[in-house]
Amino acid sequence: MAEFNALIHQPVRLRIMAALHALPPEARLEFGRLREMLEVTDGNLASHLRKLEDAGYIQVEKTFVGRRPRTYIALTQAGRRAFEEHVEALRALLAWDEGGAAG
Amino acid sequence: MSQKPASPITPEEARQALELIESTSRQMRRLAAYGGMPYFLIVWGIVWVVGFSANYFVSNPSTRGTIWMVLDILGLLGTAYVVWYIHKRGVHWPMGPTLGWFWFAWMVYGALFVHFAQARGTQLSMLISLWVMFGYVVSGLFYRSRVLITLGLTVTVFIVVGYVALPAYFDLWMAVLGGGSLAVAGVYMLTAWR
Repeated sequence: MAEFNALIHQPVRLRIMAALHALPPEARLEFGRLREMLEVTDGNLASHLRKLEDAGYIQVEKTFVGRRPRTYIALTQAGRRAFEEHVEALRALLAWDEGGAAG
Repeated sequence: MSQKPASPITPEEARQALELIESTSRQMRRLAAYGGMPYFLIVWGIVWVVGFSANYFVSNPSTRGTIWMVLDILGLLGTAYVVWYIHKRGVHWPMGPTLGWFWFAWMVYGALFVHFAQARGTQLSMLISLWVMFGYVVSGLFYRSRVLITLGLTVTVFIVVGYVALPAYFDLWMAVLGGGSLAVAGVYMLTAWR
């Protein structure tokens, strides 16, 4: 049975994982774009990204485009699996509530 | 009564979390222009509908050739615009350049095969269409997209059936079922993913 993931479930991290999961496979998202989308501060986003990176769920790559530093974030295979398992756990709970609880 | 799944949250919280995931995913797919795929399909679907219709309805071969040349240029410009638009929105796809070079090599080899095979008319249309669909299937493997692979295989079946069973109407068949399938698949993706 799919397991609930407390690390992913935090709302900002949940949205980070959902956003990265919706990208085409292997695609990476620029830090600034993710920050705008989630409407969080640089520090707040960086702190959540660090937690996800420490868990091995995302990969953070710092690079330069011309002279400007750019940070790209991508989901790892482990992150993809963990997120999908978490979504499955949420759906299982909902299914139990909507029908299974009575059966 | 079935056993409650092990979870520290309530079903209502699970519902809210799933809604949050859904809205974020939708927002992201829009931002990334859905990986470009539905737009590529719509652009090239329209190219095929117009191009194959011209093959069927326009009698002058030179005019047909010019129409296809203009359509291909427009298709390439449309494709380049979608790629640029996705990149501008902060989405970087490392496999993108590989896929771009793949299609470039694909076109060069396709042109060489077509030139030396000395095919003409309907046979030429059939060979090019099959070649392009093979490209769709391989791109589907790059994208890991079952939709693209299924679409490529389905249109391949249409091409073979049209060529074998209705050679006199092959171009019309390809405009409707070939180009139509690509464009409809693109529109369907946009609608279903919204």
